[in-house]
Amino acid sequence: MTAVITTGATSVPTRSMRWKEPRRHLLFLAGVLVLWQLGNLALGQLVLPSVPSVFKALLEITLSGALIKAMGESILLLFLGLSAALAIGFFFGVLIGRSKLAQWTLSPYFSALFVTPTVALVPLVLVWFGFGLSGRVLVVILAAVVPIMLSVAGSLRDEPGELVEVARSFGVRGEIALLVHVRLRAALPVILSGFRLAVGRAVVGMAVAETYLRLGGIGALINSYGALFQTDYVFASILPLTFLGIGLTKLVSRVERHFQGWQS
Amino acid sequence: MPSEINTPNKLELKNIHKSFPTVVKGHAGRTQILAGVDLVVKANEFLTIIGPSGCGKTTLLRIIASLLPADSGEVLVDGKPVTEPSAERAMVFQSFGLFPWKTVLDNVRFPLGIRNVPPREATEIAMTYLRKVGLEKSASAHPHQLSGGMQQRVGLARALATEPEVLLMDEPFGAIDAQTRELMQEELMRLWQETRNTVIFVTHDLDEAVLLADRVVLMSPGPGHVRKLVSVDLPRPRWGYDVRAHEQFAPLRAELWQALRGDLLQGSAAG
Repeated sequence: MTAVITTGATSVPTRSMRWKEPRRHLLFLAGVLVLWQLGNLALGQLVLPSVPSVFKALLEITLSGALIKAMGESILLLFLGLSAALAIGFFFGVLIGRSKLAQWTLSPYFSALFVTPTVALVPLVLVWFGFGLSGRVLVVILAAVVPIMLSVAGSLRDEPGELVEVARSFGVRGEIALLVHVRLRAALPVILSGFRLAVGRAVVGMAVAETYLRLGGIGALINSYGALFQTDYVFASILPLTFLGIGLTKLVSRVERHFQGWQS
Repeated sequence: MPSEINTPNKLELKNIHKSFPTVVKGHAGRTQILAGVDLVVKANEFLTIIGPSGCGKTTLLRIIASLLPADSGEVLVDGKPVTEPSAERAMVFQSFGLFPWKTVLDNVRFPLGIRNVPPREATEIAMTYLRKVGLEKSASAHPHQLSGGMQQRVGLARALATEPEVLLMDEPFGAIDAQTRELMQEELMRLWQETRNTVIFVTHDLDEAVLLADRVVLMSPGPGHVRKLVSVDLPRPRWGYDVRAHEQFAPLRAELWQALRGDLLQGSAAG
């Protein structure tokens, strides 16, 4: 392993810059896996399962279809929750961003929601909605809605320079037309970084909902393997969840970069 | 042109008053910005407005554009009162006012889109005006890739593309370096010679005010009013010769400077 690392490191500068960063990540990952394997030897299979056993478990739950099914359920929940959070966050964000009255009355409650751990709200959601899908979606919404609302409200509160005036001078009339033509477009980069934050929180909310509210999806896989002390399978279930979160965040980042092209 | 007596009035300002709410030491009050401004602008006239800061010249321009309502008084275009902003009174802004996320072409097309000009036609018109300001090659660039002078050319092309009745310019070259400014002034003269819009041009640069104008309006603060109207009969076109060296330039400048100087001294004593 060490031999691979040194040869890899010396050859890096001659390669194109595009590959430099992924290579660094891969090299570091190799180092992490080595440490993990050493940890396995020191702590034992139950506390830290060996790298090969985790990959074997991952392969097994993938081939059996259990992972795909769980992922499908989780992604559906995430999609529903994020869509609803986006719609609700957007609506209240515009309201709070453009109306002083709404800001004074509503924003403290959103701030309170932001600092309340989503897990703490689960018993309430259970009482109100039971074990159905709507309850789980609500947990994802509660986790994700505030960053969206805050970014929309915050970016709409400051005038984007004189651009509103420019649009008005050329005959754009009405608050809604100005929102569409100028305010929201100017705010888009900030809104998207809020959304990126929301995606991360939504994944947490999803796992919470699937673990505490009703077993299903990836959360259920983790929970049931955990109960059986099959830690290699637990890791094998956590990894896809992590990659899902990373993948979604990267996706939003890409969209963000696309719309930030005009910022030097 | 001021010498043509029968030219119709394009724009009339009748007894414009404007005040803004202010809070001084916890007491809410109102500060009078404009008190009874009357002004008549002839069709195809190039009018410059000059005055010390605080004389309300930009406020007046925004009232003409209907971006700001006057407390009392009327703005008439072709004899009809106007209250809503419209591309017929197109504005060129001091800090350019370009949409940073739009390309140069889309910025110029923007007001045409608002007026429901079909997209292909809008592109054609926009390209025509970008050619006029020498920026057809930068059509697909974004504003941040251009210099200040180029950005203001885009701003000018955008305003002209709507073929406005009145072109309103709010210190358009104020944020541009001195050398580029001289080039821009000449370019504006050339464009204007071609389009002959009615232009109201606000500036704090005395040379610029005389150089461009058919008439110079001198405004005074406390509260803002028209103090002096001076006709400029320097021969046009005003390029190809050194306008500042013309025998009429210095006396005009001196006359305006005398009046302006008094206001500036008073302003600095009060401030």
